[in-house]
Amino acid sequence: MTVSAPNARLTTLHRADGSATYSHGGYSILGSVNGPIEVTRRDELPEEAAVEVIVRPSVGVGSPKERHLESIIHSLLRSVILTRKLPRSLIQIVLQVMTLPEESEESMSPTASTCSLPLLPHLLQTALLALLSSALPLSMTFSSILVALSSRDHQDVPTFSPTPQGIRSATSLHVFTFSQRGRCLISESSGTFSFNAYVEAYKVAEKMCTDPVGQDQDEDIMVGLDEPAHNLTSFVRSKVAEKVESEQRWRRNS
Amino acid sequence: MSLTGLVVLPGDPILPSHLPSSSKNPGKALTIGPGLRHIPPTTVTPTTGGALIADDRKPAVWVENNSGRYIPAVGDLVICTVQRGSAEWYYCSITPHTPLATLGNLEFEGANRKNRPNMLPGALVYARIVSAHPNPPHQEPTLTCISPTTQKADGMGPLKGGMVFRVSLGLARRLLMGSKGKLDVLERLAQKGVRFEIAVGRNGVVWVEGQGGDVKTTLAVGRLLQEVDEKVATLEEQGKMVEKVARTLK
Repeated sequence: MTVSAPNARLTTLHRADGSATYSHGGYSILGSVNGPIEVTRRDELPEEAAVEVIVRPSVGVGSPKERHLESIIHSLLRSVILTRKLPRSLIQIVLQVMTLPEESEESMSPTASTCSLPLLPHLLQTALLALLSSALPLSMTFSSILVALSSRDHQDVPTFSPTPQGIRSATSLHVFTFSQRGRCLISESSGTFSFNAYVEAYKVAEKMCTDPVGQDQDEDIMVGLDEPAHNLTSFVRSKVAEKVESEQRWRRNS
Repeated sequence: MSLTGLVVLPGDPILPSHLPSSSKNPGKALTIGPGLRHIPPTTVTPTTGGALIADDRKPAVWVENNSGRYIPAVGDLVICTVQRGSAEWYYCSITPHTPLATLGNLEFEGANRKNRPNMLPGALVYARIVSAHPNPPHQEPTLTCISPTTQKADGMGPLKGGMVFRVSLGLARRLLMGSKGKLDVLERLAQKGVRFEIAVGRNGVVWVEGQGGDVKTTLAVGRLLQEVDEKVATLEEQGKMVEKVARTLK
């Protein structure tokens, strides 16, 4: 079974400084970025901008699960955004989950505190696209992917962006985030797995996330995987290119 | 001007071939514009996603995009709202939810201790930014309504009457750029006999007043600018839009 390619639109909210809608595999998330804005005295940092991440679930109010996701996203974005350029200000990022895949555990019992990992890469991708839309200074871009390892014939088989069924049958789940130059920024795992299986998942995730520009492309690593071969950094680049194309229209000679 | 228009993402490497060539102006230092940062000794990388534009003549290079919040920079002309006043200062808002900028009571042409403009909260003022982070660092922006070169108002000061229209930061920049902005709706309107006064703030605010406070002209001009902004109209399309508006005003 193939998973649909990700889809995104930049600047979907006209009042926010930056926003993006991202949907992939049944997940759909709306992200907004406001900043630099005035920060309360309590949160003010004298030499850098304070980053606030708010994750809102599709149903109900936030729970410890959302707080956990917020803390992971916050620690990444604080180092990705060039906060020292905007001291004594606040950058507020709100990520609203709009839809979840129909058969996923979250949508069946939204209040149950199930594993939070399947949502994390989508939240990170949305946050990045919204930040690019807000034109805030960033040190790098990143891509995030969920890898499920399931054992088949005593061998661990990695699957990218697995379907809800794939997630349920998996023995372990891994979220990897890489910068476009291939630096690993986040590695979160849950379940039982061997070190070798982890390394294999890491390598293939790296291939999916890092920028193919200027690297030798080795296609055979993709053979046998359920996912169509598309690179996540190229996807982000194509979305920014669309935005640039419409913004630079006036330069064309008519 | 050589316009590469290459799409860049934050952290992308910029090759020397994308930078303006030094052959045209030897000895001139390269200016790194907004959206780029210089990591010594020789690395230049983008900090925002957008189009990389290089100007061989200056030489300068910058990343252009049309989104996000206005960040005050020294020398920019802005239209701001007076929020409150004190004995010596007016506190003005340049963008919403940001610390208020200060405008001295005497920073107006011809103002002195006895005779100075009295502005109530909500009044609009066209002013120039004289200081903003990082120069000096960590401080709220300060404004003035006196031109540093002529010591005169030069169009700055309180804006009375008229209406305010929000446009994108890119359009505001193009309006202030002159002929290079490829935006001639205002000139064309004037040729058609439409009379109005306009002030453009770099913070994405345009103030328009039709001659004699004519509301019809004010709205027509303001909405035309917003339409040009929305469609990112080319020169040819702008001409057609002006024709249409001029006809309704006759």
